[in-house]
Amino acid sequence: MLSRLLRTNEFVIFVILVVLSIVVGMINPVFFSVSTLFDILRASIVYFIMAFGLLPIIIAGGVDISFVAIAAMTSYTTHMLLLKMGYQGGILTYYLIACAMGVFAGLLNGFLVTRFNLVIFDVSLAAYTMWYGFTLFFVGATANFDLPQGTVGYYANFLVTAQDPVVGETGLHISIIYVILIGLFIWWFLNYTTLGRGVFAIGGNREVAIRSGFNVKRILLFVLALMGVMSATAGVTQAFLSRYFNPVIFINQPLDVLASIIIGGAAITGGRGTVPGTVLGVLLIQVINRALILTGIPVEWQRWVVGVILILFTSIPALRERQAKRVGHTTELTEAD
Amino acid sequence: MTEEILRVEHVSKRFGGVIALDDVSLSVQTGQTCCLVGENGSGKSTMIKVISGVYTPDAGDIYVNEHHYRKLTPLESIHAGIQVIYQDFSLFPNLSVAENIAINQQIASGKQLVSWKEINRIAEEGLAKIGISLPLDAIVRTLSTADRQLVAITKALLANARMIIMDEPTTALTRKEVTALFKLIEELKSRGISILFVSHKLNEISEIADRTIIFRNGKKVLDQDAKHLDVKTMEYYMTGRKIDTDSILIEEISHPSAPLLYVKNLKLSHGFFDVTFELHPNEVLGITGLLGSGRTELALSLFGELPADSGMISISGKEVKIKSIKDAISHGIAYVPDDRIREGLFLEQSITNNIVVSVVNRLIKSIGLLGRKPVRKESDDWIQKLEIKTPSGDLPVKSLSGGNQQRVVLAKWLASNPKILILNGPTVGVDVGSKAEIHELIRGLAREGMGILLISDDIPELLQTCHRILLMRAGRIVQEFKRREITEKTLNSELVGAPLSATRGKRIG
Amino acid sequence: MKNKLQFTFSHQRLLDFIRKPPVESQTVLLLGVFLILAIFFSIKEEKFLTVRSVTSMGFQLPELGVLTLAMMITIITGGIDLSVNAISNLAAVLSGFFMVKLMPENASSGQIALFIGIGLLIPISVGWLCGTINGFLVGRVGVPPILATLATMTFFTGVSTGLTGGKTVTGFPEQLSLIGNETIAGIPVPFVTFVLLSILMYLILYRTAFGFKVRMLGTNPVAANFSGIDNRSILMRVYIISGILSAVTGILVMSRTMSAAIEYGSTTYVLLTILISVLAGVIPGFGNVINVFITVIILQMLSTGFHMLLLGVRGSSFFKDFSWGVLLILIFIINYFMRGKASRES
Repeated sequence: MLSRLLRTNEFVIFVILVVLSIVVGMINPVFFSVSTLFDILRASIVYFIMAFGLLPIIIAGGVDISFVAIAAMTSYTTHMLLLKMGYQGGILTYYLIACAMGVFAGLLNGFLVTRFNLVIFDVSLAAYTMWYGFTLFFVGATANFDLPQGTVGYYANFLVTAQDPVVGETGLHISIIYVILIGLFIWWFLNYTTLGRGVFAIGGNREVAIRSGFNVKRILLFVLALMGVMSATAGVTQAFLSRYFNPVIFINQPLDVLASIIIGGAAITGGRGTVPGTVLGVLLIQVINRALILTGIPVEWQRWVVGVILILFTSIPALRERQAKRVGHTTELTEAD
Repeated sequence: MTEEILRVEHVSKRFGGVIALDDVSLSVQTGQTCCLVGENGSGKSTMIKVISGVYTPDAGDIYVNEHHYRKLTPLESIHAGIQVIYQDFSLFPNLSVAENIAINQQIASGKQLVSWKEINRIAEEGLAKIGISLPLDAIVRTLSTADRQLVAITKALLANARMIIMDEPTTALTRKEVTALFKLIEELKSRGISILFVSHKLNEISEIADRTIIFRNGKKVLDQDAKHLDVKTMEYYMTGRKIDTDSILIEEISHPSAPLLYVKNLKLSHGFFDVTFELHPNEVLGITGLLGSGRTELALSLFGELPADSGMISISGKEVKIKSIKDAISHGIAYVPDDRIREGLFLEQSITNNIVVSVVNRLIKSIGLLGRKPVRKESDDWIQKLEIKTPSGDLPVKSLSGGNQQRVVLAKWLASNPKILILNGPTVGVDVGSKAEIHELIRGLAREGMGILLISDDIPELLQTCHRILLMRAGRIVQEFKRREITEKTLNSELVGAPLSATRGKRIG
Repeated sequence: MKNKLQFTFSHQRLLDFIRKPPVESQTVLLLGVFLILAIFFSIKEEKFLTVRSVTSMGFQLPELGVLTLAMMITIITGGIDLSVNAISNLAAVLSGFFMVKLMPENASSGQIALFIGIGLLIPISVGWLCGTINGFLVGRVGVPPILATLATMTFFTGVSTGLTGGKTVTGFPEQLSLIGNETIAGIPVPFVTFVLLSILMYLILYRTAFGFKVRMLGTNPVAANFSGIDNRSILMRVYIISGILSAVTGILVMSRTMSAAIEYGSTTYVLLTILISVLAGVIPGFGNVINVFITVIILQMLSTGFHMLLLGVRGSSFFKDFSWGVLLILIFIINYFMRGKASRES
């Protein structure tokens, strides 16, 4: 059992993460500070949430890019709505309304996919342009900094605080709780519910899933609705963390979130993927970004280093696959037979 | 008194203008093994689908366990104890053995939550029932075909199957695994479970079936004790005509020319060893052996897909190096694969495109552009020559029957004018009628000067086309037979039998 | 062995025409959409079909058009090239550097022409080089195209960022704008470029042995290998073509905007090219250049048309995104019913 665990993609990523952290820490010990840890986590929060929402879709064998558009649409629209109504309360209302919109958007994707037999990716392409266009045209095109009274100060609402020698007081934002709760929920859903196992079944062999009696349509609708809720949550959280609402938030990032899920061990073709792996994938990208800053590499150069790392990350498993295929073609015979 | 588990009476089914089943009646007893045989379109697959509830017959009655059904739904069929094991085994490659076994029960129970303890327990029990053991958490994708089949059978039994329907169960199994499967079937029979299976391996049927039921053109034409039915009679009933194979005399090549292909001490690790043989022009050389004997690897090696590690290959007297498919083709070698869907055809593309794909470079006009006319002409020529039945070369190849698809693959390679043609299982999945025509084609090609390597485990096929036959076992060539030296019976026993003693036959090596 | 089908072949042409009309249904659908939109907009907005407006559209759409051609050929091989926009920008940046930084002040017009000439060769080389990297990863190493080009997209953008420090490159010689802003016989040069490249793409895909192999490879890579097609070589060349076309797009953008920016277009542009490809019915093994051409024009019409209609309305330039998404959904639904009808008829 242990040897099987050691061979998983997730473990490899974990090791890489640890090694990388140690190396960076040795170059610049600031890396090993609490403030860095809190910073990395804070930056990762929304990406964790979006990745958790995207994960079941990937496992089911699909790809979606509209989740970023849904995040923007739901958060921005909710805000403008509440602003108009003169709302001055707290954050809860935001989440409730945005998530409701998120469910709607997710179900819309789901309806198109199941009713018209469409590919999830194709529908998400349409939804991506449509929702950003919708938000920008019908709701508003400018960033809005007018936060309601009840939400002021939320951005600094820390779960845990600590004293850092360099920065002073730093804290871990309370929204990390959402991440933990959502993460646990998705993990439980994927591993302990029939619906969740159905996601794996669809990703493994859709035909057989249908034959076995899984209600594939219902599962896809659920998974897409879930994605909608996660996206909305991420959008609202991002807005409160940064203290402004952005109609084009995340517009260039769907592929980055996808990349972190793949790095975390999920198969792009479906059938495989875990929550811990996804967490590691997101962390790895964030740590790399942070590490580049701390090692003194100028901001401008960071992107291409990330690119090289991604190239390596995707090449190595591909080469291993190639090796395996070569051997698999032949018989098991040896000279002695 | 034996119980009757299944009885169908006067069942008919048509699709549009096509009559798929025409007044068919048959019955299966408890603990009986029946084999359904027939060409493509004979109605045997439709019969299976009617029994499993996928199709509803237009007329007739179905009795399962004496219970009468006018219309049978898949769910009712399952509840009545009928389980179908499709060719893909209905398994999830990414899930564990335990989960695959227990999954149908999980869904049927309607439970929303998953208890892994329960799943493992169900799987354990299921495996114990058949007396086999497999690691519960092994991912199905990593198992051999035989093990996957066992998982599928376990799954079927768990649903309290009283009759298991299997579609071509022995296709991808080695001889040892086939024996194990047959033993398992005997075990199931003794427990009163009936087996209904579809097979085209006519020699195997008498080994395991109690009854053979033959379909032709939607009608049941034969239904009798399997033990006394020989292959020739089966073929006769399947096609409605006598395939006269005895009268086909493979004339021996009296003055063989210098060898077209000479292979010496060829070796591929985990494939084959010490392979040495010759192929002459005008000759059809058969290579046979069970699954795992290395025959496909040898073919792929000569074709450049799995270049050999060591040894010598010479063509028309000149030594050559074959390190890639490109090399092989440039030396005039062509390969018709056994898995034509995956390796030989471009299903969505037109017949024309499929035919010219290997020779496009030749069809370029002066300015480097591909000429429409030359392409069309080349394709039409081959459609005519090989009698590919299609109204137009522009139709996608997937619209053709198996036999015609195989002709397209042949056309593709013949278009490249090869010196050496390697055929791997050329008539698998092809109607018996088409089969004979393809054999005549092969003989014709040999007469015209081509050297043909025919890899097959279909003994009648080998006897009807080959001048010589090489037998491979465990990666080595262990025997060579001249056509007149052997009969169907001896070849069959050589293929299946115990390791040879040194005194029998002529050893190559 | 008599051939009973002999007389059928003499009626080949007639049968072909009946069974497979020369124009496929998706093309007809797209033409229909084009006409409907043209009529709709010209009625609603009198300025829509003016020379000035059409010419303006003709200047803008070629960038997206040529970029889509780059994407199209990779989709036909069963892959994808997410790095097209990154290559476009990198090509523009490097070319820009050369022209802006290395060209001496007060250069003679001959020297300027020389610099521009070289400055245009640079992007082509960059496109070729980037395409080679993509082709290597996908063809030789065997990385799934979506992941390989995602990685290279990040890498190429990163190199651009590093070189420019995040700043836009400006200060190009005026003569450069000739390419992006001039017309030949009233037709914008970029549009002419787009038309020529479209024709070239069609010829490559459907009238060369190379293109034939590209389509077969996309349909079934395993069978392609077994049929003697050199998959690696084909893939390499495909991604190089994609890279070069991306670089040409960079030239077009550069000469129209007289600047080179790293994040021009970015992910959204790439997704748009995919959207167009999906709309045009481009799938592994099959891709109709005419469909792509019409679709690009449709998207441009929607963009310009609604912009004009909604002039004065806040955020009017964003309605196009909304309309594109809605259009795609409508086409999907129409395709669904068209497919259903076809399978019922067969």
